[in-house]
Amino acid sequence: MCLLAVSGCSREEKPSQAKVPPREQFLIGLIPELNIFKQLERYEPMAGYLSGKTGLRVTLKIFPRYGNIIDNFRLAGMDGAFFGSFAYALAHAKLGVEVLARPLALDNASTYHGLIFVRKDSGIKTFRDMKGKRFAFVDKATTAYLLTRAYFHSHGISNCKVYLGECYFAGTHEDVVFDVLNNKADIGAAKNTVFNRLAKADPRIANELVILEKSPEVPENGLALRKEIDESLRIRMRDTLLNMHLDPEGKKVLEQFGAQKFIETANADYAIVVKYAEEIHQNLATYDYIND
Amino acid sequence: MKRKIVLGLTVYSVVFLLAGVYVVHTIRTATADLDRLITLHQVEILREHYLVQIQRIQTDLTLKDTSHERTFDTVFRNIVNMGDIIDTCFDCHHSEQGTERLKELKRRTKEYKEGLSRVLTIRANPSRLKAEAEAAFQVGEELTTRVRDMIDITTSRLGEITKKAMNRIELTKNILYGLVALGPLVSAFLGFIFISGLTRPVKVLLESTRKLKGGDLEHRVEGLKDEFGELATSFNEMATSLKEQMLKMQRTEKMVIVGELAAGLAHEIKNPLAGIKVAMQVLSEEAGLSEEDRGVVKKVGQEVARLESLMKNFLNFTRPAKPQMSELNVNNLINTILTFYVKSRSISPGRPDGIRIEKDLQPLPDTMADPMQLQQIFLNLVLNALDAMPGGGTLGVRTFLEEGSDLIHIEISDTGRGISDENADKIFQPFFTTKPKGTGLGLAISRQLIEQHGGSITATGKPSGGTVFKIQLPLKTAAGSTA
Repeated sequence: MCLLAVSGCSREEKPSQAKVPPREQFLIGLIPELNIFKQLERYEPMAGYLSGKTGLRVTLKIFPRYGNIIDNFRLAGMDGAFFGSFAYALAHAKLGVEVLARPLALDNASTYHGLIFVRKDSGIKTFRDMKGKRFAFVDKATTAYLLTRAYFHSHGISNCKVYLGECYFAGTHEDVVFDVLNNKADIGAAKNTVFNRLAKADPRIANELVILEKSPEVPENGLALRKEIDESLRIRMRDTLLNMHLDPEGKKVLEQFGAQKFIETANADYAIVVKYAEEIHQNLATYDYIND
Repeated sequence: MKRKIVLGLTVYSVVFLLAGVYVVHTIRTATADLDRLITLHQVEILREHYLVQIQRIQTDLTLKDTSHERTFDTVFRNIVNMGDIIDTCFDCHHSEQGTERLKELKRRTKEYKEGLSRVLTIRANPSRLKAEAEAAFQVGEELTTRVRDMIDITTSRLGEITKKAMNRIELTKNILYGLVALGPLVSAFLGFIFISGLTRPVKVLLESTRKLKGGDLEHRVEGLKDEFGELATSFNEMATSLKEQMLKMQRTEKMVIVGELAAGLAHEIKNPLAGIKVAMQVLSEEAGLSEEDRGVVKKVGQEVARLESLMKNFLNFTRPAKPQMSELNVNNLINTILTFYVKSRSISPGRPDGIRIEKDLQPLPDTMADPMQLQQIFLNLVLNALDAMPGGGTLGVRTFLEEGSDLIHIEISDTGRGISDENADKIFQPFFTTKPKGTGLGLAISRQLIEQHGGSITATGKPSGGTVFKIQLPLKTAAGSTA
């Protein structure tokens, strides 16, 4: 009791801690390249690292659809986003966002391409075999979708929705691959990087699926910032990304992410995407990316 | 007593230490029980929370594509929270079986999340959308059932565990109350025993002291032990000594009175004796006195002379002269006595009376003493020794300085008839003599003179026959202080 009394008497009021001004939030949007929860987990270490190095409170926000990120970019107060190539081309055309950097994968690839694939046992070998079949897309704002449009366009089919039995947007590349694998769809279109990554984990993908068509190589998903971002902040963010591989902590984060480093990326790197869209007469400024 | 006090304090300390250890142990056990209960309840709350979260998501699924549909962000946050809860479960320690159950739950949760992600991202025809939503809903329902079963089982177990823990805590509380109540009683009891152990002997000693003060010199302290027992022994010895000193003092006072009376009487006798002596001398010179009468007169004269000597010795005893101190060496004094006085009696080894002298005089430092009085003492002892050996024998004289002390030891021994233990105490009393013509004052005067010098004298019979007188004189420097 004495001890309690002493401790009670000797208790001192702690001086109120000096208020630290809240750090400026930097909101980065993510597209549902993978299962949205998996995608968020994949980028969280990166956000933590950027927070530590830039002094900003880097926060992630995932969108359920590619098109949402373009529609809600300003509304949600986004400062930047990791865009897929076609989504970036659209966002750049509509919002004026500017790309900073993109990852260089462990296999030295800094690009990806879209794929059209089917089950080997589906009997589908050409576009003719696709008639009346179920086609699983990721999103209208993906290169893989552009590839499909170009594929059908090259075979004289302007409206694939009429030609195919069913078209739907699974939302993620992962879901498209598994839908075709699990016979929920007959044909799928997704990016090769996700296809290959899943194939490593599930041998059925390589054994049971066959690729029918590939798009040209386009830049891997890169970080683009809104055009109003202060130039010094843009440089700080860019330098942090480009020097990550030189920092042991950053290197560890990159390894978790599945990349060697970030490389500088400019609008010019997306010229191929723009050209690819133009070939099938798609105007990026007026392109309808809403999945219907 | 000291050992008892140490033992008592040790027992006291051990008792309280054990009680303290027990209290700490019980508090720790109770705290651990409560901690465990809190943890279990937290786990229970976590499970409930998990279930609520699943049900919330199921509701989100049900409300999808209706006017009450929640926003994507809200639904997404609910799903993330559900995942976080199951991850939190892995932070706690679980048994192998529990961990396996959790892993299965996590696998199902992952499956559920994959289905939900699909529902949230897919855009397709209504039948496909419905099928996807239904698939995810079914997984959610299975998960709900599984978690609810777990909650039912653990709630039942938790109830039992809580009851047991509360019983243990109640018991601990009662024991602590008991200790709190018993502690002061034990302290008071032990304190009473210790205080009684200390005060009782003190009281006995105090009463004995009062009795002694009241004149009861026969009273003795009994029944005390340990240090108090030793104190009682010392007290009893003191009482004995006090009694002896009292008796001695009474005797001395009596002797002083008798001595003063005798001295006065001796003084009164001395003058008539001088007259008788002169008259006997005059009478013995009378021409007409027959030879026979002249012999009688001469005999009377001799007896008068002996009475004069006796009176002189007696007066010396009753009114001893104050020592006239001067620096001297005891060995030199003894050598002088042996040379002049003993040889003057024509004694030497080989003579018919056969007295042999054995000297063992160790080097002695000079000391302050009255040479005349010391000479009187030593001569008296030597002559007594010679008288004790009418048929011859050995006169031993030994001196030495006791190592580590300031006492000069002088031992004068003979090989005569010896002395009984009974007489050893009496020979220093005035008028005690074993000689037919002795006055009984020689040794009494010797002891008186030695005591005036601050020394002591004792006489003991030797086992081989004869007597040894041992004198101890303090070594004094010219400055007057003991060396």
